[in-house]
Amino acid sequence: MELISRNRKYIFIGLFPAVALYIIFVIYPIVRSFFYGFYEWNGLGEPIYIGLKNFQDILKDNIFWLSFKNNIFVVVASILGQIPLGLFLAIVLNSKLKGAGFFRSVLFIPMILSTVVVGLLWSTLLNYQMGVVNYILQSLGLEKLALDWLGNPDIAMYTVCAVIIWQFFSLYMIIFLAALQNIPNDILEAANIDGANELRKFFSITLPMLWPTVMTAVVLCISGSMRSFDLVYVMTQGGPANATELMATYMYNKTFSVYKYGYGSAVSLVIFVISFGLILISQSLMRKKNSDR
Amino acid sequence: MENVIKANGGKDLLSGVGKRFRKLLLYALLYFVAITTVYPLLWMVYTSFKSNQDISMNTLALPTKLHFENYLEAWKTARIGEYFFNSILVAVVSIIFTILVGASAAFILAKFKFKMQRLVYTSFIIGMLIPIQSILVPLFIQMRNFKLLDSRWSLILSYTAFGLPMAIFILESFIRDLPSEILESAVIDGSSVPRAFFKLILPMSRPALATVIILSFLNNWKEFSFALIFISDEAKKTLPLGLYNFLGAETNNYAGLTAALVISSIPVLIMYLFMQEQVIKGMTAGAVKG
Repeated sequence: MELISRNRKYIFIGLFPAVALYIIFVIYPIVRSFFYGFYEWNGLGEPIYIGLKNFQDILKDNIFWLSFKNNIFVVVASILGQIPLGLFLAIVLNSKLKGAGFFRSVLFIPMILSTVVVGLLWSTLLNYQMGVVNYILQSLGLEKLALDWLGNPDIAMYTVCAVIIWQFFSLYMIIFLAALQNIPNDILEAANIDGANELRKFFSITLPMLWPTVMTAVVLCISGSMRSFDLVYVMTQGGPANATELMATYMYNKTFSVYKYGYGSAVSLVIFVISFGLILISQSLMRKKNSDR
Repeated sequence: MENVIKANGGKDLLSGVGKRFRKLLLYALLYFVAITTVYPLLWMVYTSFKSNQDISMNTLALPTKLHFENYLEAWKTARIGEYFFNSILVAVVSIIFTILVGASAAFILAKFKFKMQRLVYTSFIIGMLIPIQSILVPLFIQMRNFKLLDSRWSLILSYTAFGLPMAIFILESFIRDLPSEILESAVIDGSSVPRAFFKLILPMSRPALATVIILSFLNNWKEFSFALIFISDEAKKTLPLGLYNFLGAETNNYAGLTAALVISSIPVLIMYLFMQEQVIKGMTAGAVKG
């Protein structure tokens, strides 16, 4: 190692490009957004320092709170939708099932498609008049269920969550599948000999052993849901009537449609704090539960 | 004793019937999920070969005649060809930068010891947790200050910078496990450190580099938010952004739209077809630490 440490100048040369790029395009913007949040600025003129006013306005803005609520809704729907579905599929594919490899490959395809492709595809499928979904419902005689999936403010949020689940459930399936394969077979066999049924085995062996993985999945759901800007922007742009507004689409509209850069930066900062906060809280909660066992 | 055996036998018989029923139920659910996943994709593919008239007559029916002109129209008239070229260019150049810059940083972090090593490494890794949306506004202002808006460089530089955390995470752990003796003996034999990096470390890191390339390509290919705020010049738009315009302009041209969707999915599908295991492993690994 001595020869290497004699070449210390290479430490600088090797690290410099990465550190420079990272500081200029990642760290510095984050620090700057912290400052912009305290200014009123239309993006062109001189920024005016207004202290905490942006943050006070955010707290009083009903649409922000609606978008916050919608974000939480996406988080909860992802956790309650993707994790059980992923776990179920993983368990089914892990049992000696014919064609398990085929199902695994096919179910993963939505994950690799671009979110814009998924958003546009489902927008056409869910179209009120011409969409495949309503066409099928009508031919089954279920006209009453043929709703305006994305145009009705009461159900648009559910529709968006369903599409999010459709795109990402297979990620959780793969994660659980990998974890299941790490459970030693002899434990389950011992349980079989003791006469434990499937449900009993699931709750007393599989789930406890998968708990750390479930914890990872919850954190993934949270950070993933905080990023679900593209899909909503493509499918509804936060509408109808703000029904599917997320914090990110709200921030985008405030900044790039009505040119409130200072306010947009303040919202960015709030998003940053909330997502990190949620991840930390969920991690510490899950850890506590984990140590209880 | 006899009683016990009998009781067990009875239970087995009962659970045998239950088991078959449960298995049937499991299969039904599995097929339901599989069909819900696959059918929309199949619909997208076969609808892209139908004429708009056929589509409005019956959305579900298979095409009676293959209308390849949908693809030609999407490629030329809807400018998908141009967007496709832009996406390839931006994705490939960003990957080259990510690999070169990320691998040299990972090499230094893995094989050298210096002050603040921990800090540098940790700040890169934390980058994987940052929600991109929270820095869209300041990054937009940064790009405007650099006069890079509407330039492909805005995308290349930001894709590279945001790809670095993942690249460094994967490459650092791989290079750290390479035996240091090889590097040392190369240097003793008179090789310079950069030469050893390019001739020894990079070739030996091929599996890890492949993962980084796959993940970067998938990420860059689908990226939408940065393109949306940095690029407004039609001639420089990437596919996700160009596709989005398609919707606004021609809402009812399903034939053209589905053709455009298929075109933009072909590269990732080909990649998936040939490198399925690496794609799945890379994406789950990439997600789990993120």
